[in-house]
Amino acid sequence: MDDINLIDFFLSDFINPKKRVFSGYLILSIVLAALWLLFIKQQSFRGALKKIFDKKILWSGSAKADYKLFLVNRIFTFFISPLLISQVAISTAIYLFLHSVDIFNQNLFANTPTSVIITLFTITLFVVDDFTKYIVHRWMHKIPLLWAIHKVHHSAKTMTPITVYRVHPLEGVLFSLRSVFAQGLVIPSFLFFFGNAVDLYTIVGVNILVFFFHATGSNLRHSHIDIAYWKWLEHILISPSQHQVHHSIADAHYDKNFGAALAIWDWVFGSLHLSENKGDVVFGLDTYESGKEGKIKDLYLDPIYEIARIIKIFAVRIVSQALNRLLLIKNLFLAQIKKNRS
Amino acid sequence: MIMKRLKATTAIVAIALSGTMALSDGYGPFPVTLQGYSGDKTNTVSYSGQIARHVLEQSLKKLAGKGNGGGNAVDLEAQMLSYFNGSDEDLPIIAPKSKDGFKIKQTSLHQISKGKNISGKFYDGAMPAWPGNMSGKDAAYNMIAMAAKSNKGFDADTGYDWAQLISKYTMGAMAYNQAVDNYLDEKLSAEKKPNNKPYKDGVHYTGKEHSWDEAFGYWGAAAHQHGFNPNKVYEIAKMKNQGAADKNGDGMVDLKSEYVFGPCYYAAAFDRSGTKSTNYTNTLFDAFLDGRKLITAAAGDALSDSERSQLKGYAATIEENWEKVLAEAVFKYAGSVYKDINKMKDLSGDDLNKAYRAYAKHWGELKGFAMAMQSGKSNLGATATKMNELMGFGPVTLNNSYVTGMDSNGNFVMDRKRSWSDYQLHMLKIQQMMVDQFSVKARVNDGLNDLQALTDKLDSASSAETD
Repeated sequence: MDDINLIDFFLSDFINPKKRVFSGYLILSIVLAALWLLFIKQQSFRGALKKIFDKKILWSGSAKADYKLFLVNRIFTFFISPLLISQVAISTAIYLFLHSVDIFNQNLFANTPTSVIITLFTITLFVVDDFTKYIVHRWMHKIPLLWAIHKVHHSAKTMTPITVYRVHPLEGVLFSLRSVFAQGLVIPSFLFFFGNAVDLYTIVGVNILVFFFHATGSNLRHSHIDIAYWKWLEHILISPSQHQVHHSIADAHYDKNFGAALAIWDWVFGSLHLSENKGDVVFGLDTYESGKEGKIKDLYLDPIYEIARIIKIFAVRIVSQALNRLLLIKNLFLAQIKKNRS
Repeated sequence: MIMKRLKATTAIVAIALSGTMALSDGYGPFPVTLQGYSGDKTNTVSYSGQIARHVLEQSLKKLAGKGNGGGNAVDLEAQMLSYFNGSDEDLPIIAPKSKDGFKIKQTSLHQISKGKNISGKFYDGAMPAWPGNMSGKDAAYNMIAMAAKSNKGFDADTGYDWAQLISKYTMGAMAYNQAVDNYLDEKLSAEKKPNNKPYKDGVHYTGKEHSWDEAFGYWGAAAHQHGFNPNKVYEIAKMKNQGAADKNGDGMVDLKSEYVFGPCYYAAAFDRSGTKSTNYTNTLFDAFLDGRKLITAAAGDALSDSERSQLKGYAATIEENWEKVLAEAVFKYAGSVYKDINKMKDLSGDDLNKAYRAYAKHWGELKGFAMAMQSGKSNLGATATKMNELMGFGPVTLNNSYVTGMDSNGNFVMDRKRSWSDYQLHMLKIQQMMVDQFSVKARVNDGLNDLQALTDKLDSASSAETD
């Protein structure tokens, strides 16, 4: 691999509009942040610049760990992703399955106007994708085994757009599978019922809805710029500030705002928390010892140890329960024998 | 800038060189190498018997569509059999025939070769893909008899298109079988047809030279098509480009060396369509050519073990790619059948009958090629069993019934029904099977294509971001 390829390998996400950290989206985010600080927060131009490019945040120990994880995870992804099941495999299996169900009529809706088909597909794909993100994210918080992994992301004490890469490789695997599953479900279903007019509305090759999500500051979710929306809108879309609430260590913010783009899921399932405008929230984990958020080795290995610990506790519990039961049976048996003798 | 120019120059020189090579590097003529030969012959290439057989096959296909619903059955069957079994009389060439802009030199069989037939070179092992537990050859006789009784080669009740079935099946059971299971197999051994002896008494070519030429003849390529773009090869077979075919410029296409027949035609057809990622036409031609050069270079000595193993390497390339071409055909027509069913679902009346006829034609090609695949050298085992099961003995017809077997009187039994979508699923599975088992790459009419295209467009990695 020569130098150019190496740069390409590590930094390709910045020139790929399908990625959140695409340079165009980052620039838009800076503009948005500046507008917010200047006109809503009434800050001076200098003040706004200082806040956006705050050295203490961009070069904190936590942020530096983000950058390292970004680079190292790239290598993990390179080796792991070819091992995962492909969308084509899932899509094909589902497509074949749909053929085998006689009550499903292929091309049932094929006469629908093409623009309607494309609109429906674009929206469905986005909504299904977003919903599965909500579900999996919720699991990451509620299931101890997954929380052990997801903690890595939440250990960030300062947030920058690169924090989106502050994840354990195992979480990357889970999220890739989620995506494969979501798209693998929607694509064949649409093709089966709507025929080959199925397509996606895109801008720069990206689902138009995903494009708007990113172009309107998805990068600011992981930042200290607490852009909030109107209350009614925060019931529909997650604002950057709402996601910052999700990262807060305050008790009132515990397990809130799991949503990615849409707030509807949090609203429906009772985990919605609107933004508060009470000044800076504190990010991180209250259970984490200070300074650990910057240690790469711990970030990779701690989740593994914790998973091992959880499995061990679980195994011990199972074994001891089984032994207890055996003991009980033995005692009952002995008691019966005694009774028979007497 | 200089580099660019250099590259351009190199490219031009390379193109020019390959151009001249393509012109001078055809399959033959090759000189006499037979030691002790004192005659005046100068070219040892000879495969006119195979050309005659290709012509018999094409003529038979034409005849299969001449039935008038039973009235001419006896005569037609006799006529078809004269082409299948051969005849002492000189038979007229029914196809391919001259047309405007494409003049063919020969008009009767004896102008190509005498005493040739299809039946003597036809696969005669078990053929479980056809109802009635028949041998390979009996299945062909059965098709011929049925074709003679049919109306224009089509039986709407069973959905059989006899011309397609007979012609595609013969392309495998005769050409493919003879090449890969005979000439490129037994006859490459040290003992059989050695290179230091004539192929048979009195001929000027050696045992190995002629064995190899026979296989080349069955492949059906034009002798001068080396390096041709597949479009050109395709146009020759489709009789659309006399200029490309007429190598010696005599204003006529000589079937004996200048025309492209069935097997090679299909290779070119796949190279130029679908994913356009294959090169079957030239891969096969080059393997034939390289093998023939190796034999010629032995100068009439018996081939050494290492020469024979190299030759077997070329034979393996030929066999493997030929099989793939047949698998591509199965893939393509399974896709056609799939699409045809989608069309038929929306139609009724005359439009439906028309679409059904096209569906039956495609199914005939599908079945014919599937049977062709099963008449080669390698035993396809479970793959064949599964493929036959998915395809069935006959297509799902308009009332959803399909041929399930043959009774003791030789009538087709149609005692089961299957839904259209169920049958479509079978077609997709057949396509999947061709990909998994034979790694087909051209993938014409890919039923899963839209799926793949959409998936590629979305690129799953984009959504791996978490929050």
